[in-house]
Amino acid sequence: MGVTCVCQMPVAEGKSVQQTVEILTRKLELLGAEKQGTFYVDCETYHTAASPMGNQGQQGKLMYVMHSSEAPLSCYALFENGPCLIADANFDVLMVKLKGFFQNSKANKIESRGTRYQYCDFLIKIGTVAMGPSARGISVEVDYCPCVIVNDCWNLMVEFMQSFMGSHAPGLPSVFSNKHESVYSPADTMVQYMELLNKIRKQQQGPVSGIR
Amino acid sequence: MQVRAEGPRSTQREEKQLENSIDVLINQVGDLKKSLASFIYKLENEYEHLTWPSVLDSFALLSGQLSTLNKMLKNDKTPLLRNQVIIPLILSPDRDEEIMRVTEGRVPVFSHEVVPDHLRTKPDPEVEEQEKQLTTEAARLTPDVALKQIQSLNKMCSSLLEKINKEERESESGGLRQNKSTFNPADTSALVAAVTFGKGLSNRRPTGPGGSSVGGQPNSAGMMSSGPTLQQVQISMGQNQQQMSGVAMSQPGQPGKMVSNIKTNIKSASMHPYQR
Amino acid sequence: MTDTDALRNAKRSTRIDAWCGYTMEAPPVSAMPVSGGTINMMEYLLQGSVLDQSLESLLHRLRGLCDNMEPGTFQDHEMVFLLKGQQGSPFVLRARRSMDKPTMPWHLRYLGQPEMGDKSRHALVRNCVDIATSDNLMEFLLEMGFRLDHEFVAQGHIFRRGSMKIVVYKIFRLLVPGSTDSIEALSLSYLVEVSVVAPAGQDVISEEMRNFAEQLKPLVHLEKIDPKRVM
Repeated sequence: MGVTCVCQMPVAEGKSVQQTVEILTRKLELLGAEKQGTFYVDCETYHTAASPMGNQGQQGKLMYVMHSSEAPLSCYALFENGPCLIADANFDVLMVKLKGFFQNSKANKIESRGTRYQYCDFLIKIGTVAMGPSARGISVEVDYCPCVIVNDCWNLMVEFMQSFMGSHAPGLPSVFSNKHESVYSPADTMVQYMELLNKIRKQQQGPVSGIR
Repeated sequence: MQVRAEGPRSTQREEKQLENSIDVLINQVGDLKKSLASFIYKLENEYEHLTWPSVLDSFALLSGQLSTLNKMLKNDKTPLLRNQVIIPLILSPDRDEEIMRVTEGRVPVFSHEVVPDHLRTKPDPEVEEQEKQLTTEAARLTPDVALKQIQSLNKMCSSLLEKINKEERESESGGLRQNKSTFNPADTSALVAAVTFGKGLSNRRPTGPGGSSVGGQPNSAGMMSSGPTLQQVQISMGQNQQQMSGVAMSQPGQPGKMVSNIKTNIKSASMHPYQR
Repeated sequence: MTDTDALRNAKRSTRIDAWCGYTMEAPPVSAMPVSGGTINMMEYLLQGSVLDQSLESLLHRLRGLCDNMEPGTFQDHEMVFLLKGQQGSPFVLRARRSMDKPTMPWHLRYLGQPEMGDKSRHALVRNCVDIATSDNLMEFLLEMGFRLDHEFVAQGHIFRRGSMKIVVYKIFRLLVPGSTDSIEALSLSYLVEVSVVAPAGQDVISEEMRNFAEQLKPLVHLEKIDPKRVM
């Protein structure tokens, strides 16, 4: 994988999440992008069960454990504004062992599922973000595979995103801010997803648009 | 070839004795062959789960059988086999099924080609030739020179023997010493305690009240005689140091210097049953 | 005679695919996100030690007894972290990194309470979770609230025989916390461990381990050592 940008696509006015996704994918298909199966990214939230002794800073800190179909045997564990650990799937087993210290708040599980497209050197993933049965929003991931240096390809990516997202193409993601010349890593993508999914979770958008 | 025809006087008893001992020999060689074959089979087919003790067993069996065979040959009751003569009566280039059977398919014909090999009692002609040369050479030596050579050879042999004996003694005693202590149970305990609880490894053990159930509990300190380092625990400034999140152990400020912090003897502290 | 199980169990095997090169091919997507790993794996363990001067004899014997693989050496730095709750015993995690192969993933390990079992079981058994991770593990554990309790350097040899892993290593104390530059051997012996990681309930394995241990006698006596006894 290369430099990847994850952003949100607002639901078009008067349309449902699903309809907006359809509009978006149709645009991609018209561009010539090819469908390549499906994808998912999920994010589970853990909170500390009891504040560890003498460690007030830990209180209320949330830990996220994420999975992605792009690396199905891996597991990502991260803190907001903190480090992102890449581990193998046994990390999930560890979290079970740790349940006396970290509790999985099942209700907060949020995921994005959808279709994966390829257009030349770009991979595009349009996903429906859902908590439980209710669709909450739309995620767009664009991966420019040949390049791992943000500065070398950002302008190209913006241009490409504008071609199908129009004015909703995003600005520079915050994880890029200290990454201008360094090598992009898969963990950076997960951080973007974590931030996006958190944002959507908190949005509690007025009308929840039913079935996705 | 020396031929000593059996005299008409040789008693029947002698003949019977010979026959008996030959039978016994054949049986024993047969046994030996069987165990060799089964050992080879084991090596070739069961090497995946062959255990060392079972290999040793096989060796022991073989060496036992060989020594019985030797004893048998040296036995007073066994007639001297070298005094017996075998004369090939008929040579034939044709395939002989009986020979095939007896030799388990190794010798198909009893012909002039194989007989000299199988019935040979003397060395090869070339070897005989060499031996003859040596004998004539030896005959040419004057007694004086021969004596000198014998003496120097004896000297060499005895010094060599001495060296070998000495070496043997040393390796034996070395082996004994090794057998006595290739490991030390106290070390085992210490090492296991170190990997499991970090005992004896760290001077940075948290000394908070109650201690940890993992790690050397205070009251266990008296149980182990080894590992004096355990009993010395430092009160470090660790508590606040660890508050700093994301700080690696390479955090400056503490390294090395920690050693100079207060040392306390946890053993004495733990003696107090109500210490909390 | 490859033994994939053993390879999978081998300490440094890794299944983190997030580092592998990416292709444009779509990965297979299962109906549900994989959240998994292998639950309830047990480690069967026998321990012993050998004096420095007998190390060569032991290695020689192991080379003869073990599978015909490149005899490996390793040098690892292990850090043991504790997470304390309000009550009960702290949660212990072990983080290991290879010092001689720095590009290897870090190894995070959870070990459960050891079960001695009865006499019919010949090895110590404990629950274990092995995780390969990225190299920011330490930073992450600290963020989770763990504290470094102690650390050591393990340096030695590794062998394999069927599904058994045999390690012979020396333990070094770190003279300066966090720095592996100046280390000091803990004792004049090498620790010897024979272990198998297998799903729970496969006690037959302990039989196999005992037979193997028999063959290392009298050089090394491998036993199931109750850690409480040496505490």
